[in-house]
Amino acid sequence: MATEAGTPTFANKYPEEASIVRRAFLVAFIALGVGALAGVIQALHRTNILRIIPSADYYTVLTLHGVLLVIVFTIFFLVGVFQWAITRSLERSPPNITFTKAWLGLMSLGSVMTGAAIVSGVISEVDASADVLFTFYAPLQAHPLFYAGLVVFIVGTWLAGVDWFRTWLGWRREHPDERIPLQAFMVLTTMIMWYIATIGVAVSVLFFLLPWSLGFIDQVNPLLTRTLFWFFGHPVVYFWLLPAYLLWYTVMPKIAGGRLFSDPLARVVFVLFVLLSTPVGIHHQYMDPGIAQGFKFIAMTNTMFLLLPSLLTAFTVVASIEHGARQRGGTGLLGWLRALPWRDPAFTGMALAGLMFAAGGFSGMVNAGMNINYLVHNTLWVPGHFHLTVGTAVALTFMAGTYWLWPQLTNRRLYSRPIALAQVVLWFGGMALMSNAMHVSGLFGIPRRTAEPQYQGFDFATTFGGVSELNIQLALGGTLLFVSTLLFLSNLALSLAQPTRSGLGQQLPAALSGPEDSPRVLDNLALWSGIAVVLVVLAYALPLGSIIADSGLLGPGGTAYPAVLTPDSLAGLQAVVADPVVRALEVVA
Amino acid sequence: MNGGSETPVDTVDTTDGEIAPDAERSISAPVTQEGNQRSISYEEFDPKGTLALILAYLVVLGVMWVFMYFVEFLGNELVVVG
Amino acid sequence: MHIHTYEKLWLGLSLLLITGFVATITYGALGAGVEMVDDSGETVDPGALGEHPDFADPGVERVGPNEYDVYVVAHRFYFEPGSSTQGFDPITVPANSTVNFYITSADVVHGFGVAGTNANTMVVPGEVSELTVEVGGPAEYGIVCNEYCGSGHHTMEGLMQVVPPGEYNGTDSQTARLGGDR
Repeated sequence: MATEAGTPTFANKYPEEASIVRRAFLVAFIALGVGALAGVIQALHRTNILRIIPSADYYTVLTLHGVLLVIVFTIFFLVGVFQWAITRSLERSPPNITFTKAWLGLMSLGSVMTGAAIVSGVISEVDASADVLFTFYAPLQAHPLFYAGLVVFIVGTWLAGVDWFRTWLGWRREHPDERIPLQAFMVLTTMIMWYIATIGVAVSVLFFLLPWSLGFIDQVNPLLTRTLFWFFGHPVVYFWLLPAYLLWYTVMPKIAGGRLFSDPLARVVFVLFVLLSTPVGIHHQYMDPGIAQGFKFIAMTNTMFLLLPSLLTAFTVVASIEHGARQRGGTGLLGWLRALPWRDPAFTGMALAGLMFAAGGFSGMVNAGMNINYLVHNTLWVPGHFHLTVGTAVALTFMAGTYWLWPQLTNRRLYSRPIALAQVVLWFGGMALMSNAMHVSGLFGIPRRTAEPQYQGFDFATTFGGVSELNIQLALGGTLLFVSTLLFLSNLALSLAQPTRSGLGQQLPAALSGPEDSPRVLDNLALWSGIAVVLVVLAYALPLGSIIADSGLLGPGGTAYPAVLTPDSLAGLQAVVADPVVRALEVVA
Repeated sequence: MNGGSETPVDTVDTTDGEIAPDAERSISAPVTQEGNQRSISYEEFDPKGTLALILAYLVVLGVMWVFMYFVEFLGNELVVVG
Repeated sequence: MHIHTYEKLWLGLSLLLITGFVATITYGALGAGVEMVDDSGETVDPGALGEHPDFADPGVERVGPNEYDVYVVAHRFYFEPGSSTQGFDPITVPANSTVNFYITSADVVHGFGVAGTNANTMVVPGEVSELTVEVGGPAEYGIVCNEYCGSGHHTMEGLMQVVPPGEYNGTDSQTARLGGDR
């Protein structure tokens, strides 16, 4: 057991950076709580078990659920964990901590702007809304604040990347021939992927959707903006996943009592994600008209190869925890599993998350399968899939990782380890029920994104079990997940009141096979960036060119629903905002 | 041997009485958790258990894929042929 | 680079699995003849469907001895034809025929999913989704809008009826359309 004079904690060594990480996590967990509340409301509503809101408002709640959980929660957690990882692995502070606070502030501002636009949808006194869901497909239109908030948020993340690249470049000047430490390597490669990925959504929002919502352009091309969204929409899932992989690769072996099996393979995996995450987005558009079959086939083959880094991860991570189990005295072909530290909620949470990811990976393989997509597209199968992946592999790993990281950020013990253990098991159980019900419902054709999947003219034909049983299972699972979220949040809140103490520091061991065993070219970030850009151009130039040639850059695009800003309301906006500012300036001048 | 007495970890050879990072108790683990009994190097370690588990997973994937594709999908009505 | 033997084995098996997936899907396309919705549909003006030769009066018409074209316009929040609960005709076709769907939207993005079947497509304003299916024996299918299209999205439903050939009493192309056959 670490002694009084043992490893200093991250909070001891880097107090300002620890403060940044805590703040990022705070925003993430607030978003998690509100997003989870939205989720249980949805689960009870669509199954017709308890409806406390009008069905029209369901879509506001669903937009909030999506944006808060997969934009705010996941990405604030990412920036927290990445700030920790890069500071720790390079043993170096950011060049200018004010700049660090600034990008975190921008991300927070953007979240508030977009969140306000969404919430206005249920406030009748405010004539604004953003009932457009996480994907905001035109011609559905949100209030300009929704789009502007997303822009501000994404710019904040771009600046976070700049901060970390500058930190690394400073480190490199002082360590010219060293391999990039693994955690820093993971942060940098993930951000390269993010820069490439956000090009699509940035173009869509800045050049089309935002000016359109402000009334500067009349219409947009729905297929074009959809395609630009999915250019971003696939790699964003790796922005969610790769911080979880960072924890699985660099922290999980330690808490299992072992060491990472192979640093080189971890680097190869992250390089593969840089290359392959983006040129696959069209697999979200298999059912779209206006895109040729050839482009869909190419997206499919690229996607199937994108399975490879995740399959390789399965090997390396399981081998690393097997190493820990055997160091702890485990024996036998499978008996070593019992030697693992199952009473450590950080370990058990990550292990259950990984197990669930194995199932989620399979439903993802089905989704990727081009023609088999006819079977599952836009059915409840799809949310069934992503609640296993982002909802568990990512979210549960984040929660489990927090149990391990939080004491090192605060110098306080977690309030209750047994409650934390119960929390992660409850999440796994609740998700198993809910996601299973979603997958099966989807195979019967029950749609996703629908407040009332109960139709007047027909019933869904089920082959085993009925729709009622599936609904009960879904609602029960969703409720258990909400309870689990409350356990997580309250445990952390109570931890804030624990006394500070020493001895909470943790070291991370070196990998069994270190970076010196791998070719230096893996660290050539410029090379991988260049190849990634080429692959994206190859995947997207022709499809985008073809869409623009067929139906034009701006349409014909249908009418905006709802048209939030009309010439009248624009005049009103001018009266409320611009005129007073002008008058104030005249007074000052 | 796994399981056993609940003593604090300190069974790995280290310098200066410090504990190796992989043997150091996880901060989220119970205080009385048993820890490492030995240190295993890369050369000594054969991840046989991992191989067994992922081969089993591969078989499950193959079976599930064949079922989903040929029974659920191609066996479904109104297959799009044009 | 030092790669463990088991890792090399797993890498090989993973690539085999991936190849197997791609091969299955290719078989589905070339062997089983499954075609994807693609860009063979024309582009249209969603605001001017009332002047379009086919979408101005959408419906079912016979175009061959056992082949039928079905033109559908998706609106917020009904299918025309299809939404029999809202006063439109259900989509009725005879059993054991070939049915070509042509589907577009008059306003926002919708989905067209025949529940419990593989007939499923996005419906995008400005684009026409073309799907050809072989219809089997008599049956009744629900049609679901499976892409969020606004506050009434959950009320958007339709019906597709596959009737015995003797009961089918639709018109054929010579008499159904002004402007002759295509």
